[in-house]
Amino acid sequence: MSESLATYGLYFLIGQYPNGPLGGLALTILLGASALVLAMPVGILLALARISDWRVVRWPVTGMIYIVRGTPLLMVVFWAYFFLPAVTGKKTGQFTTMLIALAIFNGAYLAEVVRAGIQGVPRGQTEAARSLGLNYGQTLRRIVVPQALRNMLPSLVNQFVTTLKETSLGYIIGLQEVAFIASQVNSQVIVHPVAIYTALALTFFVLCFGLARLAGWLGVRT
Amino acid sequence: MGQFDFSVVTTGEFRTWLVSGFLLSLQLLAASWLLAVPMATVVALCRLSSVGVLRGFGAVFVEGIRNVPLLVHMMFWYFAMPELLPEPARNWLYDHDAEVVCAVIALALYSGSYMAEDIRSGIRSVSATQIEAARALGFGFLAAMRRVVLPQAFRIVVPPLISQTLNLWKNTSIATVIGTAELMYQTQKVETNSFRGVESFGVATLAYLTVSLVITAVAVGFQRRFPVRAI
Amino acid sequence: MRLMAMACCALGVAAAWTARADQLVDIRHKGELTCGVLATDEPMSFVDPQTRTIVGYEVDLCRAVARKIGVTATVKQIAVGARIPELQQGHVDLLAATLTHTRQREAVIDFSLTTFVTGQKVMVRRDSGITNLPQLAGKKVVTVKGGTQEANLRKVVPSVEVVTFETAPQALVALQQHKAAAFINDEVSLFDAYAKMGPAQKDFVILAQNVSTEPIAMGLRKNEPAMKVAVDAALRELEASGEAQKWFFKWFGPGTRLQYPTRNFKIESDRVPD
Repeated sequence: MSESLATYGLYFLIGQYPNGPLGGLALTILLGASALVLAMPVGILLALARISDWRVVRWPVTGMIYIVRGTPLLMVVFWAYFFLPAVTGKKTGQFTTMLIALAIFNGAYLAEVVRAGIQGVPRGQTEAARSLGLNYGQTLRRIVVPQALRNMLPSLVNQFVTTLKETSLGYIIGLQEVAFIASQVNSQVIVHPVAIYTALALTFFVLCFGLARLAGWLGVRT
Repeated sequence: MGQFDFSVVTTGEFRTWLVSGFLLSLQLLAASWLLAVPMATVVALCRLSSVGVLRGFGAVFVEGIRNVPLLVHMMFWYFAMPELLPEPARNWLYDHDAEVVCAVIALALYSGSYMAEDIRSGIRSVSATQIEAARALGFGFLAAMRRVVLPQAFRIVVPPLISQTLNLWKNTSIATVIGTAELMYQTQKVETNSFRGVESFGVATLAYLTVSLVITAVAVGFQRRFPVRAI
Repeated sequence: MRLMAMACCALGVAAAWTARADQLVDIRHKGELTCGVLATDEPMSFVDPQTRTIVGYEVDLCRAVARKIGVTATVKQIAVGARIPELQQGHVDLLAATLTHTRQREAVIDFSLTTFVTGQKVMVRRDSGITNLPQLAGKKVVTVKGGTQEANLRKVVPSVEVVTFETAPQALVALQQHKAAAFINDEVSLFDAYAKMGPAQKDFVILAQNVSTEPIAMGLRKNEPAMKVAVDAALRELEASGEAQKWFFKWFGPGTRLQYPTRNFKIESDRVPD
């Protein structure tokens, strides 16, 4: 077993890099973090659209959010993989596909978190800002959203953990993230499936549980 | 992208495959749900009990399962766990649709751990004075739970549980990686054989959305009929 | 109104003109040819765990084709079920992914000259007692998603129960764990897997009967005649110079796990039987 660790350990951690694209645990973390960072502006835009006064904006966006949240993430990934290039006209690799699928999917969930966060900022703040002469955009940008973000921090940490777990679906489109590599290693080694898949599970556990603990230590109460 | 022809996937052999996949997805949902809810209740009660060992078990169960992706659970239960079974048990499993059994185990445990947390917070939100009053009247822990707390917790707990049911429905799609012939698996098969990506994925998406809509409607209906009462 | 119509016409013509822009010209302009490979199918294309690079017979062929065209090759790993969509969407310029040339697929993509001829065979567990294909009736057989294996097997044994997985190695694990009676794949992958098993070989047997013959070829996008001419010309040159033969023996010949004693085909034709 320890020889398997020595032979495949590096492959598990960083994939083919530098002899090929980045993979393994490093890719999982990179993809998860990037997807969450991208999902934030998506979530904010969608949330603003949902509380907008204009029906022509509110209804299609609400409909789109319901559709995305009622569809399995795997289905969203397939749509992005097979049909995104036809729509955008640009070629996308597996990493970009997963990134966009995760950003859209988590953006739709974050929209609710952001909406609750924004609506949780006391009305008095908005009123004071407007009476001081700030317009709608400035009020949002300087007064409401910063306060809302502080409210949303626990949910954001949860969402990051969720996104990290969701990167495992890249396995199905051949992205060399950590679950794909573990399966490849298992098909080479054959005789230690329990050890390999337990190691994979433990990797995610340490990553996700550790993250939640770290956030708690930094003062974010989840 | 060319002409879209939905009739290709809605007739003949392809339709049979998609329908059988849809039905299996529904069965996975039902079986996992029926296993998850009682399991979740037990785990929630463990986490709330005064016995340290039970509390520890509950915490390990929930955190251990929730922090691992469902895909990894599926892989573990299908490719790793059976190797630990004694040979007669293993052969029995393989003769009886191992793909479905392992998918149900993974789904039930995964959903169960989330539901346990929802049930636990629901129970905790029932005012402490209710438990104190029940104990003062002479009820034991379990009796107090059963007769006083759980009926009140019910209204609070059901909406998040319905939300978890929705997640469970969507999660059945991940069973495709261990060869379970549910809707996602069949959609991939139809796409391979017909070269009709948009049509096959479109029909499958519609199927998933329809059931999601029904589940969401149940949630809305429940909250209207049984609003949470403040005490 | 007239202006709108003229603008639309102009846009349409421009779109049509750019749509018919030559793939070969684009590739030469970019200086790069992207090869789509499986990287999970030893020795056609696989990841060498020591160097962590993608190597194999088809990788060598694709790099050589790129060299003959005058560009560098970029090797990209893709999933079995995604081969044709990846090519059609333009993610990859060429498929070197153990792709079988079938008449059915000719409707959506073009093929180069046949680069390898193999058959699909079945590997069974010795303790299942199966010695020929018809005995698979009602039994469970595993394979990979997105290929021709399932359809081909059903033609021969209609009542077989097929379970598919995302990669062929994953399906093989299922067979080795006794989850199924048999595993169907092309004979090269089967022989390679069998050779790698070592002492476990005694538990498995590869049935001699072919489920189907598979002419493997490179996949090309439809309506790109210049590209096909260039790729076929490159392949003919490789055959004539003996490099194609050299690579065959490098990956399949007597010194390897597979030990094919001879090569029973030449890279010369893209005709396939019905």
